[in-house]
Parts: sequence; structure tokens; C-alpha cells
Amino acid sequence: MTPATAGGGDRPGVGQGASRVMTRGFDGTWEQLADLPLPAAAAVSVLDNLQAIRAVWSAARDDGELLVASRTRLTAELRDELRAAGLAVVDLTPDGDSNDDPGGGVGERVIVAEATAARSPSPGRVWLLTSGSTGRPKRVAHTLDSLTTVTGAQPPRTWLCPYAHGAYAWWQVVTLSLRHPGQDVLFVEPDELESWPARALEVGVTAVSGTPTFWRQALYRDPDAVAALPLEQVTLGGEPVDQAILSRLSELFPSARVSWIYASSEAGASIAVHDGQAGFPREWLGRAAPGRATLSVVDGELLIESPRRGQGVAEVLSTGDRAEVVDGRVLITGRTASDEINVGGAKASAAAVRDVLQAHPAVVWAAVRGRRAPIVGRIVTADVVLSGEATAAQLTAWCADRLPDYAVPRRLRFLDQIPIKESLKSDV
Amino acid sequence: MSTLSRDQIRAMMAEVLAAQGKQMPGDDQANLEEIGFRSLDFSELALRVEDEIDEELNFDAPQLRQIATVSDVLDFLEQLQAA
Repeated sequence: MTPATAGGGDRPGVGQGASRVMTRGFDGTWEQLADLPLPAAAAVSVLDNLQAIRAVWSAARDDGELLVASRTRLTAELRDELRAAGLAVVDLTPDGDSNDDPGGGVGERVIVAEATAARSPSPGRVWLLTSGSTGRPKRVAHTLDSLTTVTGAQPPRTWLCPYAHGAYAWWQVVTLSLRHPGQDVLFVEPDELESWPARALEVGVTAVSGTPTFWRQALYRDPDAVAALPLEQVTLGGEPVDQAILSRLSELFPSARVSWIYASSEAGASIAVHDGQAGFPREWLGRAAPGRATLSVVDGELLIESPRRGQGVAEVLSTGDRAEVVDGRVLITGRTASDEINVGGAKASAAAVRDVLQAHPAVVWAAVRGRRAPIVGRIVTADVVLSGEATAAQLTAWCADRLPDYAVPRRLRFLDQIPIKESLKSDV
Repeated sequence: MSTLSRDQIRAMMAEVLAAQGKQMPGDDQANLEEIGFRSLDFSELALRVEDEIDEELNFDAPQLRQIATVSDVLDFLEQLQAA
């Protein structure tokens, strides 16, 4: 990457940093977070949200160059790659009791592995890592400005942020809170995913953003606790968003705005839909407007020309996401590379099968894949989680009524719980 | 690796047919086309065998010759487990 000034001007301005942030070990404003001395260009390997937001605040205040990632993501190979790209890799290690300082910072050791390639830091640069689902994670260059996609006055809200430290969606919530006073945030750690509704109720969370898998898991575990939340805003993103989960959330929270967002490190936040319906209106295709992404579908793939894309990302980004127009809506259903299951020459869509299964009243979650088989090459199989009573024969009949013969799952496996990764996605 | 007997495979084949609302014939020489046992059913049966013995089968191992009768199906899956 070419060293360059990322734009400066990203330092917190007047009133910024005044929002309340709550996470394990801290409850205060951004401004009250303990200082974290960082090199001018740092990749910070974090164990929790407190470390992550301290890194953000320190880098924002000092106009530093920053990458934040969960320690579990930073493999030895990736660390070497980051150091060779001019970033010092920073680990924070607890060293004794740090409870004396509510902002964190007492008794910790900061371990710095210096960059192995010298270059000038790029003030204000924020690096994100792609998910790496199609290979090694790539670095994508942003700034706090390019990550701040919400503009204008916002009603005061308390957000729940369950996303993985440093992910694009995590940064969306972080920049919203950092830049807009009154946008408070409760961060939850992966090990708090089972108990977050109680904590959210306690602190008055009014807005929650999560993947469809996150929502499905929450509603499966404790629907009453989720329904008790006084939510004004419900947001979904990060995975294909189907009508079943949107309808369920709209029913549970009739006075809330239910939105889904299409966003990624590379494309930026590109699509926001607030009508409670899956997909977006067909009329949006090809529509050019200042500040908005231009969307198109070519050979079944969603292409995006986004003003919020990462630096160096192709102007027209081939997203790798499958899109199809159904009844005037453009549905984004899954990855082009993994969606098609070739059953003896007939093409079954894993996403279409998944949506049919998830539309069954007793199915709370489903994942569909092809499995190697004799004669036909692959057959459709599915994992499902039930919230009610249903037998394999009943689900097969349900699918047979709605899908071509070759797309009906021939092997169904019932799971006890919804699989979820740190990314809050199922990725299966 | 555990293997399934011919009778066990036959019982599984009956389950696959039953799921399609069809009946397993008493005669192993019954023609597959006549009883409505199709390629997808055959594939499903092979995967049921895989799941039961908890082993991946090498579907390329035995010669996939003409499979026309119930007996051919049972022969093939017996061979597959032995491969």
C-alpha cells in the first residue's frame, strides 16, 4: 500500500466522543476511556470490546493509523503480513487487577511487534480485514469519515453491538456512536450472546443490529426476553435477509423500524431498505444519485458502484453475491460460488431451498448444501433447527410442494442449536 | 469399518421408497423403473448407507454397471462397502 495521508480531519470534533459506551469493565463516555499509547501505525489485536474501543478512541484522538481485529483472527501469518505492510502489531495483555480504573489501562502490558517494513504512517487511515471466506483476508483502506455512513440529526438511541471487533458492521456502530452524541452503545462479547437480552433491557437498549443468524438464535433461545425490549430500530445485515425473519421481527416489534443493510468492507454501506420487505425495489437498479450506490445485476451477480467503497476497490465491484428479480424485488440470496447445486445436470439453488425451509412455521433456521452422491453427482441436503414440531417427512412434503423434485432435500439433519460463528454468521 | 448386511440395505431401500409413497416389492428381481425407484432415490439410499456406517464411500470404486433391478442396487451397495 502506498503511504499517504488518509485525509486528516477525522479527529473527534466538538461534542464527539460524548456518547455513552458500555462494555464489560466499562460504563462511561468515549472521552473517559483510558489512554492507550499506540504506535503511529498499529494493528491492535484485541481480546474484548474495551480494548477495541480504547484503541479506536486513542487513534481517533491522535490521528493515528489503525487496524483493530480480534486476537483469534490474527494468525501468525497475518501478523507477519501486517508488519511487512508497515503496521506495528500490538497485543494488550492483562497483568494484574485492572479494576481500579473504570476506563481500563491499569496493570496491563502493551506488547509491540514493530513493523518489519519502514514507511511513513498514514494519519487517519483505518484498515479493515475482509472476512476471508473466499481466501485470505484482504486489507481494505477506509477512514473514520468513509466508515461514518449515518449523517444528519439522529434520534437518541442506545444500540446493542454484538459484532466481531473490527468488522465493518462493528465499525458502523462505533462511528455512529463516536460521531453522533446521543448514540449510546452496549457492546457484547461472544460469550454474552446467550444473555444479552437481559443486559439490554437493564440499560435501555432501543436499537439492535445483527445478522439474521444472530436474530434467529436470539429468538430461538429466549423469544420472550427479546420481545420485552422497547426497540425502535431493528437492523439486519451481513447475510442474506429473508422475508421470514423480517416478518417475524416486524410482528414482534410493530412500532419499530425494521431495516436491512447491504454492506461490506469493500463495497461500504450500499443498500438500506426500511419497508420490512426482503430485497429492494427493482426500480433501484441502474439509478444514479449523488451519495448513493449504483446497483446492477449482471449474470445473476450483484454489482455495486459505491461512493463509500474502500480505497483501491474497483469502481464497479463484483460482489460475488447472487441476485435475482422476483415480483419486482431484487433478492440477494447467497454467494454465487456456493449457491448452485448441480443435481444430475439440474441446477438447484441452495438459497431457494433454504428460504422454503425457513418459511415452514416450525423451522427457525436452515442451512442447505450439496453432498457428493453416486449417479447424480450431488444431492441437496439440509441442516435444520426447529422451534416446533415437524418430522423429516413433513418437511420433505413441504419442500416437495414448493420446489422441483431435484431440489427437495434428500437428507435432513436436525440440530439442537443454531450454529453461529464469531462473525455472527452461520457460514455453512 | 462396519458394514451393513444385504437385509439392512433392503430395509433402508424400503424406507426411501416409503418416503416417496411407494412400496418395496417382495421380489429382488423387480424392475426399478416399474417400482418408481429413480436416480435420486438411489443416491439418497447410498448416502443413508454412508451415514449409517459413518464412513465416506468411494462411489468411483465399483463399476457402475447397468442397475435395473432391486438386486442390482443391493449388489452395488454391498460392493461399495467392500471397496
